[in-house]
Amino acid sequence: MVQKEQEWISIPMTVDVPFRFAAGQYLSKFMIEMRDNSKIYAVKCPQCGRVQLPPRIVCAECHVKNDEWVELSHEGTLVAFTIMYLPLTDPTTGKPHEPPFVYGSIRLDGSTSVLDHFVNVEPDMDKIWVGMRCRLVLRPQENRIGDLSDILYFDTLPGQVRPK
Amino acid sequence: MKRNVAIIGGGQTYHAARRHDVDQAEMVNEAVRRALDDAGTTIDEIDAILLGNMEFFEGVHMTDCWLVHGTGVYGKPGLKITTGGTVGATTVCAGAHHVASGLFDKVLCIGFEKQEEGDTGAILSGVAHPLWGRSLAGAALGYFAMMGSSYMANWGATEEHSAMVAVKARQNARKNPYAHLKLDITIEDALNSRMLSYPIRMLDMCPASNGACAVVLADEKTAKKRCKKPVWIRAMETAHNEQFELDWRFVDTKRLIFSKACAGRLYKKLGVTKPAEYFDVFEVYEPATWAELVWYEDLGLCGPGEGFRLIEKGMTNIDGPIPVNPSGGVLSTNCIGASAMLRIWEAALQIRGDAGGHQVPKDVRRAMTTAYGGTNWTVMTALSKTLND
Repeated sequence: MVQKEQEWISIPMTVDVPFRFAAGQYLSKFMIEMRDNSKIYAVKCPQCGRVQLPPRIVCAECHVKNDEWVELSHEGTLVAFTIMYLPLTDPTTGKPHEPPFVYGSIRLDGSTSVLDHFVNVEPDMDKIWVGMRCRLVLRPQENRIGDLSDILYFDTLPGQVRPK
Repeated sequence: MKRNVAIIGGGQTYHAARRHDVDQAEMVNEAVRRALDDAGTTIDEIDAILLGNMEFFEGVHMTDCWLVHGTGVYGKPGLKITTGGTVGATTVCAGAHHVASGLFDKVLCIGFEKQEEGDTGAILSGVAHPLWGRSLAGAALGYFAMMGSSYMANWGATEEHSAMVAVKARQNARKNPYAHLKLDITIEDALNSRMLSYPIRMLDMCPASNGACAVVLADEKTAKKRCKKPVWIRAMETAHNEQFELDWRFVDTKRLIFSKACAGRLYKKLGVTKPAEYFDVFEVYEPATWAELVWYEDLGLCGPGEGFRLIEKGMTNIDGPIPVNPSGGVLSTNCIGASAMLRIWEAALQIRGDAGGHQVPKDVRRAMTTAYGGTNWTVMTALSKTLND
């Protein structure tokens, strides 16, 4: 008698759940300033002086309320990056980012924190390095919607030479 | 601790990418039965059961309730713990506190993940703040890729060093029958594997595994009466990092981040000044190769920026002076809810001398384990062979 291979049943399922999140007092101010005035604001801890991005109500280290708003430069330095070769799904849209693409952590001048975002550069190791100077590019004002996607990407500043 | 706590037994499943032959309760039950057998006890003797799991990944919430029959918690006190990659260690930590406090004498701790049933990468995005950075928060991959780029730029390491970690993990895994990725690979294989996210290649990253682990904890009196080889939990520490900063990946940070803060506190408790000499074996939570090099430094096994020299010199090999992850580690097996418990259980096996093919070839009296998860936090557990070690 031919032995029949054991069959195991597994059942596929997709769950699509809508959410709606409140940005709150601090992030709302950040989003509105960026949308309406093209300004990037962080908050500064009155005790340790760390300039924190995204703006948040309490300094985690000092346990005091952050209440000083600081306008940041649109320029900063790349402190880490990656060239992504997988079509990562964007959880905010459900659509994949087209690979390969470059993204990294940029420390805007005047900020203690970094901002993670796309870097508008060829996915070529000779054209991107840690320490590169970058500039933030916002969506054209008339099209802004008041969320983080109003930052389109970072451009690398022209005329930079890769350090030896 | 108010009362000493020992691991009196444990067990794990054979870890694999596919386990369509079992549902979640059946898989958990495999580890539970092995742990109870190993401890020479039965479920009737267990006072309380803690279940660790990132249920979000499987899309079934309240697994502590759904899996009552598989875990054995029916009619007993129990709770579920969900803390990211740290789950398994948090569960042991909570179990040990329950025993140390005097509330229970025998606690069963279980960790599991059945990754194939959901989409961990997609669900991980839920760990990110919904309005800040979630667009790029598709997986842990990009995070560790940035750690790698930062590590190379700051310390002068190369992709070869990352490949050395990849090879060590999988060659160790070949000695561990329970490991998922038992790969006979070379440095060239690692360097030629598919680039996922520069500088991370396929072989630099952990797999998505299905599996479970369970350990039985007991108080000193029970442990000494019931167990020939109790392994003592000597110190536990946890530390969180600041949200949004994720600065573990910036290797030149001067902040006392979670990993260093936690190790510092644990060493102080035990009076450790030279961790590389004090501990005989380490089991660390390294979802990517670069994380292992950073752990070497954060645990004080070498100075900042010197981690890649340790792997280069073979110091952390299974037969080296500072063996790290003789089990193959998370790089070879990552069933998330069980992964951090596996670090503890594997370290306990080393102390018992029961690790079999991946037993380190020396007297193991003390072991140190780390967990890593969430948006940067850790649970560390130090174990010893006797209460005098």
